[in-house]
Amino acid sequence: MLTKMNKKTKRSIFCWLALSPIICVIVFPFAVMFFTSVKPRQEVFSFPPTWLPSQFVWQNYIDMWQATKFSDALINSLYVSFSATFITLLVAIPAAYALARYHFAAKSSYRLFLLITQMLSPIVLVIGLFRLIVWLGLIDSVNSLVLIYAGFNIAFAIWMLQNYFHTIPKDLEESAWMEGASFLQGLTKVFLPMAIPAIAVTAMFTFINSWNEFVLALTVLRTEENYTLPIQVYSLVGGRYTIEWHHVMAAALVASLPAAILFSWLQKKLVTGLSSGAVK
Amino acid sequence: MNRNLPLYLILPSLLLALFVISYPLYELINLSLSDVNRFGKVRGYIGLENFTYIFEDPLFIDAALRTVVWTVAVVGGTILFSIPIAVILNTEFHGRGIARTILMLPWAISLPMTAIVWRWSLNGEFGMLNASLMNVGLIDSPIVWLAQSATAFPVQIGLGILVSIPFTITIFLGGLSSIPLDLYEAAKMDGANAWQQFKRITYPLLRPFINMAIVLNVIYVFNSFPIIWVLTQGGPNNETDILVTYLYKQAFSFGHIGQASAVSIAMFTVLLIFTIFYARMVMKNEK
Repeated sequence: MLTKMNKKTKRSIFCWLALSPIICVIVFPFAVMFFTSVKPRQEVFSFPPTWLPSQFVWQNYIDMWQATKFSDALINSLYVSFSATFITLLVAIPAAYALARYHFAAKSSYRLFLLITQMLSPIVLVIGLFRLIVWLGLIDSVNSLVLIYAGFNIAFAIWMLQNYFHTIPKDLEESAWMEGASFLQGLTKVFLPMAIPAIAVTAMFTFINSWNEFVLALTVLRTEENYTLPIQVYSLVGGRYTIEWHHVMAAALVASLPAAILFSWLQKKLVTGLSSGAVK
Repeated sequence: MNRNLPLYLILPSLLLALFVISYPLYELINLSLSDVNRFGKVRGYIGLENFTYIFEDPLFIDAALRTVVWTVAVVGGTILFSIPIAVILNTEFHGRGIARTILMLPWAISLPMTAIVWRWSLNGEFGMLNASLMNVGLIDSPIVWLAQSATAFPVQIGLGILVSIPFTITIFLGGLSSIPLDLYEAAKMDGANAWQQFKRITYPLLRPFINMAIVLNVIYVFNSFPIIWVLTQGGPNNETDILVTYLYKQAFSFGHIGQASAVSIAMFTVLLIFTIFYARMVMKNEK
């Protein structure tokens, strides 16, 4: 027993040692972000720089919140991400249901179409997207982002939902129909409740994607009150002569939190999801 | 049951995707074949002139070659680091759950935010990277990392690798968990050492997952914009430009809409080829 324990302890020491360089590199920016955000302003620009501040200035967060008009950007980001997620789910759920439950002629070509759209990133189409938005009269409007984020998230959402839907037994809604429920009743009363975990996970991914998108927001949004969070934080850095780094780091930290929390919670589901193509 | 029901169910998603993706693509093809002024007004059809212009622009050629270096280096580095990390994370040891969570952290923060934090960390005078490297004695004097492409570009590649690792080890962990443990038991009985086990069992069985990770990462990295844009905007002197930053500057800084559209179409063609590879891989896996 003792030798077995020793073996595992030895192995643990080896594993942690082997991982330590990469762990340092990963933790480093988080440490920079946190410690800079709580430094007094004059210590941010002192040479040589030190890790620890002489005192923790939590006031930086309050100052940042006002100086960067953080709440405006936060509201814009929430609006864009929630709306894009809602529209994506609205069109993706029926499509995923069709792909998971029926055999039809266009099925494989539709899946190929989805695969191609999934591979395209907004940057490659950015000029065409810009013209689409001009044509719609939506330049500088967050609604243009809602529409486009939804369009770009469809493929991923359908693919993910369809994998989940396969695992829900078909008999359930079929027996409901046999018992005289209408098509829609069978779906909303029997199928959808079973699919809620799947829909929730897909929703969170769509939300995170929209929350983090950069290129299109950078291109389309022109005035500060319409900025989403990534653009607001970037605007504190890009093209400025003096950069208030303690504010930037505080803003980056707060802006990253919602997606990061969602993400760490989802991560386990993702590991199983990517490997088996089905999560229960 | 209505025969057309599945078609009605997919129709809304098809329409939205077509609207958001096909219309811009159609516009891009048109623009790439037209003479366009800086305000986006089309002055007439000029055939392939925009394409000849970009293929004769040394900055485009440089950016294209640098994109190859960028993609190969980031994807190659990611795979090389991710395989041993995934193998370690797949063995049982104390605190493995914590280690897995830490390794996934870069994925939880968006690319522009990561790049902004690193831009500050890399600051020549006040950045913590120089301070830390000097503390441990790796360098004697501060390096102004982002001021010259000789240091900026490798740093960007390193950062590209760092942010690609979590996704890649996720794929590999899925692959490793599908390898039956009795294979290793049998190999041990036959006296195979750890390296032989890796070479004869782990690597061949992981191979399909490695292929998948290579193709997906190539597509992501080829398209990746925020790291380079936030750190250097392709500078200094366009020396860290890759195709996406070249494209963005042509379109939105210089107003060369026609030429930028030609770049888009060229990139779209390359992506389509990768996608065909990926599609064949997915279809094969499904069978």
